[in-house]
Amino acid sequence: MILSDVLRSRVLDDEGRSVGIVIDARFVLDGVPHGPLADARLVGFIVSPHTGSSFLGYERHDDGRPALIARVLRWHHRGSFLVHWEDIARLDETRVILRPGYRRISPALLGAQRR
Amino acid sequence: MTRRSKRFDAPLPVLEPAEQYAGQVLDARLHLLDRQVLDRDGVPVQVVDDLELSDVPFGESIPSETPAPVIESILSGPVLGTRIFGGRPPSSRFHRVSWDRIAEIGIAIHLGVAGSTLDVTWVERWVRDRIISRIPGGHHDPE
Amino acid sequence: MKRVLGVALGVLTAIGGFLDIGDLVTNAVVGSRFGLSLAWVVLVGVVGICLFAQMSGRVAAVSGRATFEIIRERLGPKAGLANLSASFLINLLTLTAEIGGIALALQLASSVSPGLWIPVAAFAVWLVIWRVKFSIMENVTGLVGLCLIVFAVALFLLGPDWSKLAEQAFAPSVPGSESAGAYWYYAVALFGAAMTPYEVFFFSSGAVEEKWTKKDIGQSRINVLVGFPLGGVLSVAIAACATIVLLPRGIEVSSLSQIVLPVAEAGGKLAVAFVIVGIVAATFGAALETTLSSGYTLAQFFGWSWGKFRKPAEAARFHVAMIVCLLVGLAVLATGVDPILVTEYSVVFSAIALPLTYLPILIVANDEQYMGDARNGRVTNAFALVYLVIILVASIAAIPLMILTGAGA
Repeated sequence: MILSDVLRSRVLDDEGRSVGIVIDARFVLDGVPHGPLADARLVGFIVSPHTGSSFLGYERHDDGRPALIARVLRWHHRGSFLVHWEDIARLDETRVILRPGYRRISPALLGAQRR
Repeated sequence: MTRRSKRFDAPLPVLEPAEQYAGQVLDARLHLLDRQVLDRDGVPVQVVDDLELSDVPFGESIPSETPAPVIESILSGPVLGTRIFGGRPPSSRFHRVSWDRIAEIGIAIHLGVAGSTLDVTWVERWVRDRIISRIPGGHHDPE
Repeated sequence: MKRVLGVALGVLTAIGGFLDIGDLVTNAVVGSRFGLSLAWVVLVGVVGICLFAQMSGRVAAVSGRATFEIIRERLGPKAGLANLSASFLINLLTLTAEIGGIALALQLASSVSPGLWIPVAAFAVWLVIWRVKFSIMENVTGLVGLCLIVFAVALFLLGPDWSKLAEQAFAPSVPGSESAGAYWYYAVALFGAAMTPYEVFFFSSGAVEEKWTKKDIGQSRINVLVGFPLGGVLSVAIAACATIVLLPRGIEVSSLSQIVLPVAEAGGKLAVAFVIVGIVAATFGAALETTLSSGYTLAQFFGWSWGKFRKPAEAARFHVAMIVCLLVGLAVLATGVDPILVTEYSVVFSAIALPLTYLPILIVANDEQYMGDARNGRVTNAFALVYLVIILVASIAAIPLMILTGAGA
């Protein structure tokens, strides 16, 4: 599977209601190391209820500068959330379908993890 | 505490707190896509146009307990056109650099190998051999 | 001596940005039609380019990444491709004009037809890019291009009415013989010329060529603060010379010899010799800058190996791309089109490329991962945001103004 198959797909919950669009995918390097780096395991997808473009990730940092631009972009992406791989029921050509009872997690990147 | 979003018909509840992870976190669009890939000596090799993930069930239900996919390789080449305009080239046309060649990921992606050992640099080598080598002075070191 | 030559990158970038053949003509046209009432635009443009060139130089010094690499990374491939297309066209049109301009300047010196000089000029540009070390290239063209200072000298020698000039400059108004539309079209054109994106592409890539590091941020600042204001001052001097000599006689600028006329009147043959040398060097430098920028933008978007500091064999696609650009430029000139007319249309593409270039620079200059503690301060950000608004306004107004006024006719 290549990533752009999933990016910008519409996300539906188990009852078929639209909850947003996939704007990014989060990976963490905690898999088995096969080379210098550990494997990058998919944590989940970042879903935005408002738009398909990620645009600079300001919604995930809390000290973005310049302040004016950061504020505009955070507003643009309000309501974005992370959904875990375990909560994905199905990946289709243009849709991602979630399991019932899926969890919405804040997509913020904390402290030292923020790069 | 829920609010109705104007454009989508599902209500928006409060989010769970942000997570901490036990390893380096990479968000594809923020940290990987469109980043420069440099070889062991700092020579540019390609830009990350797309990512190839390990296979997962596609177009069918995913059984619970299915392990999460991992990134197998970073891709460049024809995938750029399809990323912008849509569609998908056949996988034989991807230029791949497999994940185990990467040494470090910072503001650029640093490989642990020399560019000449990679398949993806064949275009550069072709241009070098067919065109640049035919012009006198092509191997002259300017420094 | 190294200190003095250490500003060569800034001077060369400014020469290519403010004093290339298109600007030489535009400044003379503006002076001969509007007097100094548009001088304030040059000032606004100089401050803007200083601000953003310094940012992009600082980013290149601290992170080792040149501007176009950042553009694709921050805007994504779609907007990055839009910028690449627009910038590439600007570069191509401008480099075509510069090659033509070198030939026109050599015609002034030798009375040999420009048609014969054009292939020579293109070959010479290529040879320098292929073979000459970056620092030698910038030092020689930068220094020789400074001969254009003779315009400022000529201005003094012409003994103008300074108070009248000052009045035009500091209390600007649209002259009676011109329409407001034409005034604002030239205002946008002058602003766009001062802030042409290839200046920051060249400056930041030049910073990487020179291997600047964090401790060279001060050096970058000096380059910017010496080069661009100098370019701006000389632009205004050219306009002022045209104001004094051409405006009263209603002489229209249609060839290089009219631009040089005020210098001839002020200083005779010797001054003309200097100015021709200066114009040849400036157009040659601009040709180098735009050709290299074409290579830099393509290579940085697609991730190719690039740089004059590498052997051509190690940056093969970079060099081939530039050779192709020069050949296309030659082909366009071979059709007999007026090279200077060609640059007027690059204003249109500038309108697209300007906001798509400067927004990512501002974003990355604030990025902690890239810059660490060399991030922008609040004051810089405030100025930069103001300029982004000005840039947006200019880019939106450019095309309608161009159509409405028939490119300022």
